[in-house]
Amino acid sequence: MNETPAPTIRVRGSLTRRLALLAALWVALGLGVTGWFVVRLAEEQIETAADGRMTSLLDAVVAAAALDPTRGPILARAVSEPEFDRPLSGHYWQMSAAGGLVATSRSLWDQRLPAPRPDAEPRNEDIIGPRDEPLRLLERHVQLEARFGAPPFQTVTIQVAVTRRDTDAEIGRLQKGLVLAFLGLGAGLVAVVALLVVWSLSPLRRVQEELVEVRAGTRQHVDLTVPSEVAPLVQEIEALIGQNRATVERARTHVGNLAHALKTPIAVLRNALEREEIPAARAQAATLERLVQHHLRRARAGALAGAAGEEAMPMAAAQSLATALRRLFSGRGISINVAGRDAARTRADPQDLTEMLGNLMENACKWAKSKVECRVVPAAGGMIRIEVEDDGPGLAEGQDAAALARGVRLDEAAPGSGLGLAIVADLAGLYGGTLSLNRGQRLGGMLAVLELPGRV
Amino acid sequence: MRLLVVEDNAELSQQLRNALSESGFAVDVAADGEEGLHLGRTEPYDAVVLDLGLPRLDGLSVLRRWRAADRAMPVILLTARDSWSEKVEGLNAGADDYLAKPFIMAELIARLNALIRRANGIAKSELEFGEVRLDTAARAVTRQGASVRLTALEYGMLAYLALNAGRPVSKTELTEHLYAQDFDRDSNTLEVIAGRLRRKLGDGLIETVRGQGYRMSPPR
Repeated sequence: MNETPAPTIRVRGSLTRRLALLAALWVALGLGVTGWFVVRLAEEQIETAADGRMTSLLDAVVAAAALDPTRGPILARAVSEPEFDRPLSGHYWQMSAAGGLVATSRSLWDQRLPAPRPDAEPRNEDIIGPRDEPLRLLERHVQLEARFGAPPFQTVTIQVAVTRRDTDAEIGRLQKGLVLAFLGLGAGLVAVVALLVVWSLSPLRRVQEELVEVRAGTRQHVDLTVPSEVAPLVQEIEALIGQNRATVERARTHVGNLAHALKTPIAVLRNALEREEIPAARAQAATLERLVQHHLRRARAGALAGAAGEEAMPMAAAQSLATALRRLFSGRGISINVAGRDAARTRADPQDLTEMLGNLMENACKWAKSKVECRVVPAAGGMIRIEVEDDGPGLAEGQDAAALARGVRLDEAAPGSGLGLAIVADLAGLYGGTLSLNRGQRLGGMLAVLELPGRV
Repeated sequence: MRLLVVEDNAELSQQLRNALSESGFAVDVAADGEEGLHLGRTEPYDAVVLDLGLPRLDGLSVLRRWRAADRAMPVILLTARDSWSEKVEGLNAGADDYLAKPFIMAELIARLNALIRRANGIAKSELEFGEVRLDTAARAVTRQGASVRLTALEYGMLAYLALNAGRPVSKTELTEHLYAQDFDRDSNTLEVIAGRLRRKLGDGLIETVRGQGYRMSPPR
């Protein structure tokens, strides 16, 4: 017996890695986009607050500015912001009129803020100030009056600039904190997904461990409480184990039968050999061979009897057999004709159907003078009827029972083991079918009728 | 008649070589599919005995490749499994006959003889050349009804000429079909064999065609 080679298991990827990777990708994308928005919002918030503080400073400078009827624009009183007095403190103001610079904060020292553009919109922008320091510049055009509501009027531009150092530092701290928080969150999420996957797959590992024990023989069944998704798999495995056990049991019974059947001819063969009776020994050897063949076939059919749901196509099988037999009997010029319903199917293993048809058709070819016909037609009661007819001598009255008996040959002239028709009858019986032998009406030789359950 | 036996079981292979040589065949043996494929492609065999289960390259593949390469010699398959599915596969791959193990050597020899005859287009197993009768199935020769004993080489040469009767057969062709590959070939031996055949079966049976070889007239 050849053992079917174990199929190589193709492994591609790992469920755990696949899910963790997918989760990591999604988490990275989601947290990245969310994080970007959060940082932007916070930055805007900080900038707005800084701008608010600058507006108050500008208001204070504007409030201190006045128009002296004789001297023109002046700063009427001091602005109470100490940073404006400390040189190069990063807080500056500057007042300009149409004629040029009017006054600056002491902090500006010998430096100046960019000259205003009276015709343009007042500026609110980032500039580079003294000592290449980044500054935020806020500007306002103000109309000064000498007396309330009466001329002369004069327009001045008041600018306030404050260093960006503090704002930028605050934004930097915020970004760093948020990025760290989001990274931690992401790593945590991916870890949880990975753990979840490992935990979800653990029933499969337990099933595998039990299967190892079943194979080792220390355990009879896979006996586990498993989640509903894994239950069908365990059920199938259990069924497979059961089927396996039944097959082994059948095989064991079979080997027992075979051993019993072989013992007698072996004993006779031994005696014959001791007495050097060569013809008797040869006859026993032939008996042994027949027995072995018969049991091999029964074993195959028995193993298949449990398998359900297989269908075979008799027309295709008969046609391919006809091709083979034409070659085998090419010296005798026998014409083999196959006809019938192409769509017919029988409920039988294709190999067994070929075995049955092969025996019938070969038998017909052996006895035929020149013609063999095979017909496949539907029959009553959900059966498919396969007729094999030849134009040979046919059966004499009452010979059909003998022909179907195991190991009996009706004529020793044609080669064969004498098992062929008995095997066909055996196999047909296993599938719930029948074989009958008659005299053919069309060609006049033997007509074998094989009926098997099936459909058209 | 020269045969190729492709069989990996050393014991069976030896039995086949012995039995077939005793029956007058020149036998080459290959122990695996690739060696068999090569020999069958390059040497002119009259028939091949091919096991299905072979190492390196299985019998069916060997057979299919021979047929694809237009090697038409008759092939008889040997196999341990005797199912019709396998027979059909073998025959439809280009085999001419099929024998399941265990088999009786006599049956294999009878089938080989029948295949070789069929391949040469001769239907009858008995050929009659005047007073000489050649029974290819029994590998027996009679002259005027009396049995004539021939050596394996003598029978081989007679049978090859008889199966190819009507055309001259060159010494090279005869050598190729009478001797196994590892045999020390000497075409002078052919003349000795032809001489012995003429002495045993009569002068008129085998004629020498100058420059072309030997020829037998077609049987009646």
